[in-house]
Amino acid sequence: MADDLPEQFDLVVIGTGFTESCIAAAASRVGKSVLHIDSNEYYGDVWSSFSMDTYCARIDRVVEPHSTLRNASYTWHVAETAPETESIETQGDQRWTRDSVMAKSRRFSLDLCPRILYAAGELVQLLIKSNICRYAEFRAVDHVCMRHNEEIVSVPCSRSDVFNTKSLTIVEKRLLMKFLTACNDYGEDKCNEDSLEFRGRTFLEYLQAQRVTEKISSCVMQAIAMCGPNTSFEEGMQRTQRFLGSLGRYGNTPFLFPMYGCGELPQCFCRLCAVYGGIYCLKRAVDDIGLDAETNELVLSSAGKTLRAKNVVSAPGYSPVSKGVEMRPHISRGLFVASNPLGNEELNKGGGGVNLLRLLDADGQREAILIQLSHYSGACPEGLYVFHLTTPAVSEDPASDLSAFTSLLFDRSDVQLIFSSYFTIASQSNKSAAAEHIHYTEAPTFELDYDAAISNARQVFNKLYADAEFLPRAPDPEEIVIDGEDPSALNENSLPEDLRAQLHDMQQATQEMDIQE
Amino acid sequence: MEDYKFLFKIVLVGNAGVGKTCLVRRFTQGLFPPGQGATIGVDFMIKTVEVEGEKIKLQIWDTAGQERFRSITQSYYRSAHALILVYDISCQPTFDCLPDWLREIQEYANSKVLKILVGNKTDRDDREIPTQIGEEFAKQHDMYFLETSAKEAENVERLFYEIAAELIGQARSKDGSSAAAAAAAHRQSEGSSIGLGSFSAKAAQSNCCGGGAAGSVGSNSSQAG
Repeated sequence: MADDLPEQFDLVVIGTGFTESCIAAAASRVGKSVLHIDSNEYYGDVWSSFSMDTYCARIDRVVEPHSTLRNASYTWHVAETAPETESIETQGDQRWTRDSVMAKSRRFSLDLCPRILYAAGELVQLLIKSNICRYAEFRAVDHVCMRHNEEIVSVPCSRSDVFNTKSLTIVEKRLLMKFLTACNDYGEDKCNEDSLEFRGRTFLEYLQAQRVTEKISSCVMQAIAMCGPNTSFEEGMQRTQRFLGSLGRYGNTPFLFPMYGCGELPQCFCRLCAVYGGIYCLKRAVDDIGLDAETNELVLSSAGKTLRAKNVVSAPGYSPVSKGVEMRPHISRGLFVASNPLGNEELNKGGGGVNLLRLLDADGQREAILIQLSHYSGACPEGLYVFHLTTPAVSEDPASDLSAFTSLLFDRSDVQLIFSSYFTIASQSNKSAAAEHIHYTEAPTFELDYDAAISNARQVFNKLYADAEFLPRAPDPEEIVIDGEDPSALNENSLPEDLRAQLHDMQQATQEMDIQE
Repeated sequence: MEDYKFLFKIVLVGNAGVGKTCLVRRFTQGLFPPGQGATIGVDFMIKTVEVEGEKIKLQIWDTAGQERFRSITQSYYRSAHALILVYDISCQPTFDCLPDWLREIQEYANSKVLKILVGNKTDRDDREIPTQIGEEFAKQHDMYFLETSAKEAENVERLFYEIAAELIGQARSKDGSSAAAAAAAHRQSEGSSIGLGSFSAKAAQSNCCGGGAAGSVGSNSSQAG
């Protein structure tokens, strides 16, 4: 195919990860010409999801020194094929083999960077505000769990959960409701006794002062506020409110998980970018970047072609911009496939859904997030379960970083592991000297939702286009009035403004009509 | 008031320049040509049709130009009920690429999706692919087949009405062997997913119902807000 790629762009974005895709969509949305390229043959970079076979291929790929994904390995815990006598699959007691799992390869969406969304969180708000939500579907998280007395139990989230749960006594229920109500009301009255008394102290001290039981304390610390012994009173309050503020929107918990995995999300932003004229090239690398001192433009060479851009945004880990950049381990990840879920029947009704569990190691100093997916997430075949384990990296060895948590989960449980895999996500510790004019995005950080990533995207976007709005609402197809005689309104990149003016006029006209009546 | 019995998502794929956008525009707006760059800002088109006395809303998605450098997002194929694979009867290379497209469809689309092969531009007198060749290819790969001209409006209505009729048939049979049937059964099931479009409506409701798995709050209908 002839390479009819234009040569001049307002913005070239290298890498199709979440943050880069956000920026590409935002720039395209306000009328900038955008080229979005990725040397990979898939969307999402380290934010991508893979089928089982492409995941293994990705893990097997040789890493370069500046790669974001590193220290990767995987192990099968089952035989390659079943012995002849066992080849008949019996329902309910299916014996999985490597081949039978691989036969369902494309039913998997294995996330490198799995996240859980607060139903009223930054990302959900952004998706709704920008109308990008029309490209995605979600699963309401079924259970928020915690470990209590070495067992995994569901934490009651909603008012009805608290009333219905059998794991709390009546007194505990009252205490918990009272406590949560107090947290919810906190902030309306900044000068109430508690906020004055506990200012500068820890959230745990506050919790203990409420004389809640040990079980309720665990509920709040582990699952609701998700904080540690040193978390300040103010931050703990804020986190609790964040949890409470996301309740009652969708489903029974305050959390959502994207159907088919988190790798869908960057693609949703890319779709919006393309709808507004952004050009997409996967499997295309940038070989060299330089600055044209005269025009102050960046000159990129890619597949024998010279491209010019006013600005370049790049994800870490892409050559040539990342050559000479030092990478340090940032997140340690474990990914497991099993034939049965964690926890009791109660937690996995009807085959299980999406469960979230925050884990603390023995001395409570380190934390990890566990996301369990069943086939209802669209990211796993029926009859199998995927466990995503994520913790801040402390070494270059993800398996040893996670061993404190895997032993809590798997050592004394009846979980039948089929496949396990570990890898590190690295971030850059210094800037490349060659890249002064390039805007870098940050590698994924350790967080439950996407707050840091969105704030990073916003910050880069504001640096590039200080006066432009970040992802204003894209009109619905029904709202775009196409005039058969004069389609010029749609030819211009300025469509959003035009459309807004048009809508404004129409609204005014309707208002005037109302007055006349 | 929204008044339709079914909503089906139809996606188009095929090489750049085979007339995907023209087919959609011809069907939804009766326009040809749609004009250069006209797809900017337009995501999908909607047309409500009536088949067998039933009102059906068709949501027809175009590639947004991502096929130009073979970079269509996987998410484009998700939850499609029907998939129209288009080539240009006067351009052999667009036909030669069909196996590549089929591979991509197999990889990313629901295996139960309704597939239609369309040879477009029958108005052209420099035909390179005989009807029979297209027909055979479609048969071989378990697809419906139709030749169209977006320019002359030939077979365009028929294409979409037949898809609508077929999808209704599937949805009614509810035997679970098709994407449409799954969609019809989808709402009440454990596996229900959520579109955020209905966010404000749901947020206003009080959180008083206990138990159950996930809340079903409608499709990703962009009308709900």
